[in-house]
Amino acid sequence: MGAKRKEQIENVLFTLPAVILVSATIYIPFILSGYYSLTKWNGISKQPEFIGFQNFVTIFTDASSNFLNSILFTTKYTVVFIIFANIFALALAVALTQKFKLANVMRGVFFIPYIMSMTIVGFIWKFIFSQGFAKLFEMTGWSWLNLSWLGNPNLAFYSVAFVGIWQSVGFYIVLYIAGLQAIPSDVLEAATVDGATGLRKFFSVTFPMLWPSVTTCVFMSLTNSLKVFDIILALTQGGPGKATASVTLEIYREAFQNNNYGLGSAESIVYFLFVLILTQVVLKAFNKRDVGL
Amino acid sequence: MTRADKRRLYLVILEVIIVIIGLVYIYPVFLMFMNSVKPFREVVMDVIALPSKIEWKNYSYVMDKMNYWSLFLNNVIITVVGIAGIVFFSSFTAYIIERRPNRYTNFIHTLIITPMLIPFQTIMITLLKVMNVLHLSGSIWGLGIQYWGFGIPMATFIYCNFLHTIPKEIDESAKIDGASTIRTFFSVIFPLLKNVTITVIVLDVMWIWNDFLLPLLMVNSSAKTKTLVLSAYTFVGQFNTQWQYAMASMVLAIVPSIIVFILLQKYIIEGVVAGAVKG
Repeated sequence: MGAKRKEQIENVLFTLPAVILVSATIYIPFILSGYYSLTKWNGISKQPEFIGFQNFVTIFTDASSNFLNSILFTTKYTVVFIIFANIFALALAVALTQKFKLANVMRGVFFIPYIMSMTIVGFIWKFIFSQGFAKLFEMTGWSWLNLSWLGNPNLAFYSVAFVGIWQSVGFYIVLYIAGLQAIPSDVLEAATVDGATGLRKFFSVTFPMLWPSVTTCVFMSLTNSLKVFDIILALTQGGPGKATASVTLEIYREAFQNNNYGLGSAESIVYFLFVLILTQVVLKAFNKRDVGL
Repeated sequence: MTRADKRRLYLVILEVIIVIIGLVYIYPVFLMFMNSVKPFREVVMDVIALPSKIEWKNYSYVMDKMNYWSLFLNNVIITVVGIAGIVFFSSFTAYIIERRPNRYTNFIHTLIITPMLIPFQTIMITLLKVMNVLHLSGSIWGLGIQYWGFGIPMATFIYCNFLHTIPKEIDESAKIDGASTIRTFFSVIFPLLKNVTITVIVLDVMWIWNDFLLPLLMVNSSAKTKTLVLSAYTFVGQFNTQWQYAMASMVLAIVPSIIVFILLQKYIIEGVVAGAVKG
């Protein structure tokens, strides 16, 4: 057997386990989702009934379907999450790279919620919004503490977004810190010599040099917020009503609570396309900006 | 006041502000710990006040009720099985892909990393069906194995990027000595991948240990196969008025992560940064 032939056999043999594993967990279920999206299937009956694109019609036109609302919620959540998570993280990262004694300890403190399970984070805040705020209101009399932060549909949106940001801001902080530390100090010194200080120096020198980190963080916050699930399930279960039901929660409910597996599969296909298009658009937009610099 | 004095004053003020923000930020976690050791009456009366005495009984009650050590072992098995497979398959596959570029391996590369674009919720419905057929649902070992498939795409991607930086002369000299591909990889190349392996382990431990939805779908039906997070989830549902027990179960679910984080903070933060920048 020639060495070349042996290498070819090895190439197939040694990559086969990974291909099989990825196929079994991702590709096969993905293809099946495509198939079941065209059927009516309750998960119990042996034969799903083929109904063509009826599920997709239902998703987009049926008044009882909450899917479009959940897309809207997820979009709103994503926008708010990206903006505020990045602003807070960047501001804190800038502060935490200043040379004071407790800077390292504080970095650890902001990172702690990120290592906790999101489900637990949701429960902690459920406790605080219900029990903690009531007690604080009693003590301080501040009326904003007495608002129904999880019971009012508008406020519940902000509560969910706030908790999502609280959980993961530490992650973006460490990414921005890494970016800030990669900026050569002589560039910053040169800017100071030229008379740039404070905010001026930040926006005209630091921020442009930080652009790769901004791209990474915006992209990561985009993909993470589009997938939001655990926090909402623990905090509001999508309520009040369906005000905070994300797409992922909607799919979960349709399939596993209403037993509409076909409809749920159709929703998951639309969701996949939604995520794919959005991430590609954002990637393209950022790449353009890179060229422009 | 000189410039240096001003600078020092500015740093002190900044430090005070950041510490205050940090304390407010982490207060919810503290509140959880505090209420987990309060007698029931005190949780009801005042969630903010410090406990009059530490009620460790809450913990012994919850640990007994949720069968803590057996669930802890479940978490360890799932995580270790998952990580071992992800590291093994991803590093070796990435080695083949990276060292032997041709049309076939390029195709395999694309095939393996493309799933990074597919959100888990897109496939979860049918995944359950496939895993029932493969008899991988309902068991913690099966769940560990499922993580292989979900972890391989990202890990392979990270390994491929890193292998790029290791000179090919190293494996060629091993080859001349007559070592097989498997041997060359595991005795020569794999040790050189130590840093990136740490990155993969850090990212995947944080993910698998805390994961919720996949375990919820696969192992939630029996009390014996639950994970710590699932058990806390069930507990909060059961004890939705007895917050001290709910809080204790939540603390028990997250305390291992916090201890590990405090011990390995440097590696964890480095790993997370490396993973995000390369991933």
